[in-house]
Amino acid sequence: MKNPDAIVIGAGVVGACTALALSNAGLKVLVIDRGPVASGTTGAGEGNILVSDKEPSAELTLAIRSRDAWFEIDTDIGGGIELEAKGGVVVSRSTKGISDLKKLASLQKVNGVETIELDASSLQEAEPFISKDISYGVLYPGDAQCQPMLAAAQIIRAVRKRGGSFIQGENVVKINSVSGSIIGLTTDKNTYSTPVVINATGTWAGEVAKLANSFLPILPRRGFILVTSPAPKIINHKVYDADYVANVASGEADLQSSAVVEGTASGTILIGASRERVGFKNDLNIAILRQLARQAISLFPVLSTIQLLRAYRGFRPYAPDHLPVIGEDENISGLWHAAGHEGAGIGLAPATGELITAQITGATPFMDPAPFSPKRFKGGEYVAV
Amino acid sequence: MSQFEIEFTFDGKAIPAIIGQSVGAALLATNQRSLRKTRFNKNKRGIFCGIGVCFDCLVVVDGVTNQRACIIEAKPGMKVQTQDGSNA
Amino acid sequence: MHNVVVVGGGPAGLSAALAAAAAGAPVLLIDSNSRLGGQYWRNSSDNFDDQHEQHFDLETGLLLINAVKARKEIEVWSEAQIWSATNNEGKFTLRIIYQGKEKIVNTANIILCTGAYDRTLPFPGWDIPGVMTPGGVQSLLKGHGVLAGKRVVVAGTGPFLLPVAAGVIKAGGEVVSLLEANKSRRWLTSFNVILENLGKLKEAFYYIKTISEGKARAKFGYAVITAHAGSNGELESVDIAKIDRNFNVKKIKNIKCDVAAIGWGFTADTSLAGSLGCKQVVAKDESVIVWVDNNQQTSISGIFAAGEITGIGGSELSMAEGVIAGIAAAKFVGCKVEVLKAHRKRRAKRQRFANALIKAYPVKLGWQSWLNDQTTVCRCEEVSLGDLKYSVEELGATDSRTAKLFTRCGMGLCQGRICGRSVVDLVANELKLLPTDTDRISAVNRPIITPIPLGVLAQGE
Repeated sequence: MKNPDAIVIGAGVVGACTALALSNAGLKVLVIDRGPVASGTTGAGEGNILVSDKEPSAELTLAIRSRDAWFEIDTDIGGGIELEAKGGVVVSRSTKGISDLKKLASLQKVNGVETIELDASSLQEAEPFISKDISYGVLYPGDAQCQPMLAAAQIIRAVRKRGGSFIQGENVVKINSVSGSIIGLTTDKNTYSTPVVINATGTWAGEVAKLANSFLPILPRRGFILVTSPAPKIINHKVYDADYVANVASGEADLQSSAVVEGTASGTILIGASRERVGFKNDLNIAILRQLARQAISLFPVLSTIQLLRAYRGFRPYAPDHLPVIGEDENISGLWHAAGHEGAGIGLAPATGELITAQITGATPFMDPAPFSPKRFKGGEYVAV
Repeated sequence: MSQFEIEFTFDGKAIPAIIGQSVGAALLATNQRSLRKTRFNKNKRGIFCGIGVCFDCLVVVDGVTNQRACIIEAKPGMKVQTQDGSNA
Repeated sequence: MHNVVVVGGGPAGLSAALAAAAAGAPVLLIDSNSRLGGQYWRNSSDNFDDQHEQHFDLETGLLLINAVKARKEIEVWSEAQIWSATNNEGKFTLRIIYQGKEKIVNTANIILCTGAYDRTLPFPGWDIPGVMTPGGVQSLLKGHGVLAGKRVVVAGTGPFLLPVAAGVIKAGGEVVSLLEANKSRRWLTSFNVILENLGKLKEAFYYIKTISEGKARAKFGYAVITAHAGSNGELESVDIAKIDRNFNVKKIKNIKCDVAAIGWGFTADTSLAGSLGCKQVVAKDESVIVWVDNNQQTSISGIFAAGEITGIGGSELSMAEGVIAGIAAAKFVGCKVEVLKAHRKRRAKRQRFANALIKAYPVKLGWQSWLNDQTTVCRCEEVSLGDLKYSVEELGATDSRTAKLFTRCGMGLCQGRICGRSVVDLVANELKLLPTDTDRISAVNRPIITPIPLGVLAQGE
């Protein structure tokens, strides 16, 4: 494609949603990835589209809009992404946990999230197989689920049908600018001219920012997911322990893990969630798999006889303040960053695309994007908190 | 019944087996070729590879799903049932 | 306390265990079956009728099995399934499901003899109950005393079809058709190898005699290309086709049967080797095998491999390799022993026969023309050829791994053991490319080697 109006680097879910939003706004978009669609963190994602795990904040506003946008995209591109409005149930067993959960839920409610408190008997009704020693939970009808690989692939397919292009297997080696403005980029095979480049490379966004002589403090946070054999229908919603929220917000490098379980459209059960800062370490950590299994069984004892079939790991892109980076580069105009969504990349992708597109085209964004701006890092070295 | 014969049930029906035989083999000996229905298209499946590699011959054994009939040894009083999809 | 861990109780594993023990190394032999012998010497307990007629050389098998049982230095764990194996700088950890619980074995020396299973090709109707593999029919007969059906079609390619057909006849069944896809004259190119291995000819004639007494006639250059179900959804008939040398269809005829035993050689089970980081390569028959040096040592020091996983070649080559691996492993742990020239000569002779086998029974790509878009390719997840094509044409998959992630092909319970090889060929065909070695090797990557109940996983250390 000659002279695209914009180039998106990265064909994961964030890159795909951004390309779609730009395409729908009338821009000619080229998407470039060094590998196939969803070959980064998106391919290791669970498919979470959550409003339940965020405190009232800019991120929650982003999440609420993004969740609705998923359903609009699903209709727009004709489905095929296994989108399910399955709802989430958050539980807690400890007194403190329950009181924290109650507080969070009422704050979220005030900020536009539908919440329904569940006592012991309504919890049992919502989830008949949940451990009988759990007596309190909150149901979030807004939580949803999709299949992330299919989502990214179907969205890229739609982008191509609408006049966009996708190039697979080219590695960007330099992002070119003149007098502080983007003029294009160079890969290991070609050079492209464009006034707009969007860095949607997730866990590698820091490396890619360097190719423009810029800076983004994004680090990997490893996570494992267990996948079971196809199982009887045991779990109706996405169910997780309230500790999950605390772990997401934590900056500790050591292993954080808490129970997250759900069924899928294909019949398997997915079990998470663990978070470690171990760089890009590739090994299969058996101790973590055991811990995840223990936690899941603690929530749903009947899982004991269900078999683990496979496990995979992904590297969540993680910014030091736990907020995604969505906005124009501090120094280079025309260079936009859409990365660092940590464990919420799939959920937040559509709204990210909308915010980027609005800022590029000059339309009014649905919310003030300032909290996500990369200018908040003020260049210079990142120091771990 | 000889000293080597035992009995288990398949969907409630009594099935004879020789000690050491797999559930799948004993069922096949009674002409039971189909053991389950697949979970998406509801197609019948039975023993395919016969050696525990293909996971097609799945049955529910004493309440546990996804058991391979071709390698599970038949035991007296075992309760075997058709697996319908993943019994969801 | 054992020094050498042997995984697999077939011809290779039994030979390796005996050789290592004889050399002075205590052995732990781990086998997933209830009875030693592997696939090749599958046998049943004394509850069943005499099994000798089912095997050409069950005697050899029983000799090895009884020798292993008699040796105090060999500890045997049967019905033990390794679900995970990791390599921590030369210390290998095997996590095993044994008697309902998990057992951990740490060792610095392993001999992998995990064998092979029938290679299958997808075709319309291959998922109908009644369609099986030759190994499955053989196992039902030899291991469980059950004849799979009364009217049996035996088809595919390779000498393994002979004992299966003979077994059916000896058990009172009818072999309505015995179809070998390749022409018999391919053997003429390896005449010297046949002369070198006259014992093999004797074996072939043993089966052929039974088959002709059973009034079955082998047809060369024919294949089963479609299976049809009756109104009960089970196998009723198959279409058999005269095929050309590339396996393209020339003429079709329908015949009634209740069992079709169809196999296309063998696929090695290298999951454990791969988990431990052993280098895998693609063999001349395009199967993925474990690379070994002249002493059967893999690319990982301390891990040896023998038998079908180092290259499909039959039981006698497996035994020859097992002996060398056992001696080399014993030497590795400090025993004063050497591999003899005689061992290497015997292995070389059997390797030549194995090479000739591969040349004589190729699987040609024309098999892909038997499929249509509705044909199931991944049995576990019910993925059709049409689904696979969509993932390439519409979703942009450019390799089999991505196609797998888009379609769930190979993500079911068998983790791609049945469909993996075929999917690599089918996707490459869609892309009008040749499959790469990387494609083939990534298709056999399985860090979780066998499903493990979450409760057992949770309780382990």
